[in-house]
Amino acid sequence: MTAHLEIRGLRISGPAGEVVRPLDLELRPAETVALIGESGSGKTLTAKSLIGLLPAGFRAEGTFRSGDQVVALDQPDAAWRPLRGRRVSLLLQDPFTSLSPVHRCGEQIGWTIDAIQGRLPRRERSRRIAERLDEVRLPARAAHAYPHELSGGMRQRVAIAAALASDPSLLIADEPTTALDASNQAEILDLLRALQDARAMSLLLISHDLGLVRGRSERVLVMCRGEVVERGTTAEVLSDPQHPYTRALIAADPALGAPGPARPVAAGGDREPLLAAEGIAKRFGDRPVLDDVSVQVTAGAVLGIVGESGSGKSTLARCIAGLEREDAGVVRFAGDVLSPGRRSRTPDQMQIVFQDPYSSLNPMMTIGAILREALATVGRPASEVGAILGQVGLPAEFASKRPAELSGGQRQRVAIARALAPRPRLLICDESVSALDVSVQAQVLDLLGRLRDELGLAILFISHDLAVVRRIADTVTVLWDGRVVEQGTCEQVLEAPEHEYTRLLVAAAARENTGAATRVATKGTP
Amino acid sequence: MTSPGPVGIVFGPTRLPVTVALSLGVVALALAAIALTPLVAADATRQDIMSSLLPPGADGHLLGTDELGRDILALTIAGTASALVGPICVALGSMILGVLLGTIAGYERGWLDTVIGRWTDLLLALPVLLAAIVVSGVFGGGYWATVALLILLFSPSDIRIVRAGVLEQSARPYIEAAQMLSLSRSRIMFRHILPNVSTLVITNAMLNVAFAIVAFSSLSFLGVGVPPGTPDWGRQLTEGRAIMLDNPAAVIVPALLIIVVACSVNLVGDWLGQRLTRSGRRA
Amino acid sequence: MLAVRVLGVLGILFVLSIVVFAMLHLAPGDLVKNLLGNRPSSPDAIAAIRARYHLDEPLPVQYLQWLGGALGGDFGESIRLQTPVVDAIADRLGVTLALTGLAFALALAVAIPLGVQSAVHAGGVVDRVASALGIVGLSAPTFAVGLLLLYVFAYYLPVFPVYGAGDGGLDTLHHLVLPAVTLALGLGAIVLKLTRAAMLRELDADYVTAARARGITDATTHRIALRNAAIPIVTGASLVLTFLVGGTVLAETTYALPGIGTLLQDSVLYKDLPVVQALTLLIAVVIAVIALLADLAYLLLDPRVRAKGVSA
Repeated sequence: MTAHLEIRGLRISGPAGEVVRPLDLELRPAETVALIGESGSGKTLTAKSLIGLLPAGFRAEGTFRSGDQVVALDQPDAAWRPLRGRRVSLLLQDPFTSLSPVHRCGEQIGWTIDAIQGRLPRRERSRRIAERLDEVRLPARAAHAYPHELSGGMRQRVAIAAALASDPSLLIADEPTTALDASNQAEILDLLRALQDARAMSLLLISHDLGLVRGRSERVLVMCRGEVVERGTTAEVLSDPQHPYTRALIAADPALGAPGPARPVAAGGDREPLLAAEGIAKRFGDRPVLDDVSVQVTAGAVLGIVGESGSGKSTLARCIAGLEREDAGVVRFAGDVLSPGRRSRTPDQMQIVFQDPYSSLNPMMTIGAILREALATVGRPASEVGAILGQVGLPAEFASKRPAELSGGQRQRVAIARALAPRPRLLICDESVSALDVSVQAQVLDLLGRLRDELGLAILFISHDLAVVRRIADTVTVLWDGRVVEQGTCEQVLEAPEHEYTRLLVAAAARENTGAATRVATKGTP
Repeated sequence: MTSPGPVGIVFGPTRLPVTVALSLGVVALALAAIALTPLVAADATRQDIMSSLLPPGADGHLLGTDELGRDILALTIAGTASALVGPICVALGSMILGVLLGTIAGYERGWLDTVIGRWTDLLLALPVLLAAIVVSGVFGGGYWATVALLILLFSPSDIRIVRAGVLEQSARPYIEAAQMLSLSRSRIMFRHILPNVSTLVITNAMLNVAFAIVAFSSLSFLGVGVPPGTPDWGRQLTEGRAIMLDNPAAVIVPALLIIVVACSVNLVGDWLGQRLTRSGRRA
Repeated sequence: MLAVRVLGVLGILFVLSIVVFAMLHLAPGDLVKNLLGNRPSSPDAIAAIRARYHLDEPLPVQYLQWLGGALGGDFGESIRLQTPVVDAIADRLGVTLALTGLAFALALAVAIPLGVQSAVHAGGVVDRVASALGIVGLSAPTFAVGLLLLYVFAYYLPVFPVYGAGDGGLDTLHHLVLPAVTLALGLGAIVLKLTRAAMLRELDADYVTAARARGITDATTHRIALRNAAIPIVTGASLVLTFLVGGTVLAETTYALPGIGTLLQDSVLYKDLPVVQALTLLIAVVIAVIALLADLAYLLLDPRVRAKGVSA
């Protein structure tokens, strides 16, 4: 079969020089090609260059051939217009921002129809909109809904219907499921596959997640710092990666990698728990967020708290830390009852590492000043800044830098150093690795594991990501809608879940890495 | 509700450094003119009916004279102090009030926030110029009473801006991290939050100088705020309006000066805001 | 939600009326003398004034009596004009409404398309010119601009009249052109700034990228973005109002138009307290009502707020 779409010599340069190195790409009809890379690898710019929508300051070179039509990638905007929609369409990551919030969903699909067909009679137009909605398995009445009235998964369906209403020969999907909950991700990907088969459309699937594309793409390209470092059939690349970067990606992705090393752990047992929260309840207005939640963790152990967004897991952490006042329940720390609020707390009890490394450090202070302040709270001298930076694997020179000069992973290390400075006995990690790229995620998880062992820290590890929790936690508590639905050792809960919700979560996570286990098994015997 | 919206957003695309350089020059010249006041004070107030309404250039009067025979050039230079000193004081005073009350309202919340919020709501319900016209018109009071009044009337928007900035910062994880370290409230407010809203505060103060220049000259144009007989651009315009045909310079020169100075201060303020925002992001 | 908002506005107006009333009684000088104005201060006249303003009653009672009158439309009598305050205001209202209406229409007609174009071609020639105009419009005092326009277009090139509001109809329109342009410059600058900033933000949004990627025309894309930008633009209406009140006083004074603005200025300088009091409250009410309308428009423009507004 002849190549349907060919991209030759695609090269993108930005204000700071070349960002994507020359790249060739072919897509056959009905074929899915996955482009994998971490943030900053140039994958999103590549996507935008293929539809002529590079941000100001960026320039693409190369050619794009579709059938017998050849276009230059740096052609002016006017020349792109007839291609957009008809030949190529783009599906963006976030369904919450990719639809106009003040227009009804049907209208937004209608715009695409108008652009292709010209103005149709009213009735005919509504009929076609309903057809498009039906294609993405939404009822016709969804046309009258505003985006905010729909769930994230439904919005992404509307966005798909709008993107495909012009019947393009190529759809570029840029991280189409990253913003969705685990249970929605598989459905959206399956829907895309079905739509693609029905119209023999090519799909360029862009993702940071190697596990996601297994079984869903024929071929895969792995991109690192603007360069394609590996390409081949998906099966080949995943089972026998050649490039060290691909190997690192596979090893670092907790969904694909092996579970954390077995560790002799005193999970609970008869030891006195360091922290015991009992019967915590909290309402925001008349909405209950936490309802009779009890958890405990002992020194030197990690308790994973798992749940989707809105399950109340962060609120629980904030109540334990005193940043939020619980309405009922008791927080016991080392045997003493802690009253709600921060007033009676001391910094050497517990510290938090937050999710977003970009806003958790004061941008106006140097790293040194941030750490000195934290050390001073327990009377430790400023001279220990270097030592504490070393503890989290950063050089002492970092003391004179400001947060903006650091990468996300480095900032998160500083945040951990600040949290360790008052020598707390409990560390709360609230989605602390969720905002990081997978390879950095792995490093930070290793660091946390090492600190737990060296310092005998108790860790309360909150995450929506079962794979990450599996790597580090000894015991797991599953929260759903503000209630504990399952509690036990990590193995019990994740291998043999009892509650239906936990099973759903585990199944959704497993769908993403089907086959990972067999590959690990075969790789184990070289 | 009727929140001020995206006022803080800087006007215009990339500012040509030439424009900013010119604006800085204008501001510097205007400040230098204040220093010249003692030299021209005598000329500015000397009335000479014999040489009234002279056209520009006549009899050694570069810009001519007004109805009372006062030299327009001297009068204009002497008016600079009145046009600039008050507005600068208004911006500074309102900034200090804004930082103090805004930080407390935004960080402490609770009843203090409610009281301060009601107070600013009340003052914001009245347009500054209207309130200033009525109060200084009915109560009289001199130049410094007007300064105090304008500080009072300008401060609600400063308080709101600072409060919003402080609120926004307070919700950030780095503030919660500071709370986890059990740092004192004043340390969190003034060491952690304030530096992060300082860009906002400084930019806003600069723009307030421009608005205060407009407010002051408007008041004196309407005949309130500045005592009669004081050399002042706004007053010159009120008086010049009647003699526009005899000596156009009496109107054109002060009118252009007010416009140019106000625009320059505004441009410098915008530029400063952009610079600070950019360096704040880099830092 | 709306009921709370209306109650809040009424509360502010009530407090304001007390403040303004108190001001009348705190104003320097003898109150009776102020209220008498130029009338001969015969004992009879003084007695009449004391009775008219209930000056022998305690202050709170005086306030309540004034409030009762005000609610019934009786704001007393103008000292300067010797006519009921309500009539004095009614006489002047037409000119002011015509002036502000004309200025508003001019400002919107120019500033919104200009703001959209500036944002679409950010950094281009149109944007630079618009930004320069915006800076002048925002920082130049209305009266200074007015006097310069007056000199150029009424004295130097006598195209427009110098004084007054004309004899009605086209003549009035002719008289109002310069004042309206003067006022529209400041108004337009604010609207331009709001429009440009809002459009820039919206054009950068994902849904615009998504729309362009679907082959939707630029014209349609800009229409979609402007519809979204309408929300912050309307929210900025309070800024426009604040400027409009001061600007109207200045524009009317500069061009000697017999409107509400000049009435206020004359009454302030003459210490015509009943008129000042009535006008201050009238303007506060107008501002409150327009702010309320802006909130309602906000509700109409944003389906998300609409959903919340109904459920709350």
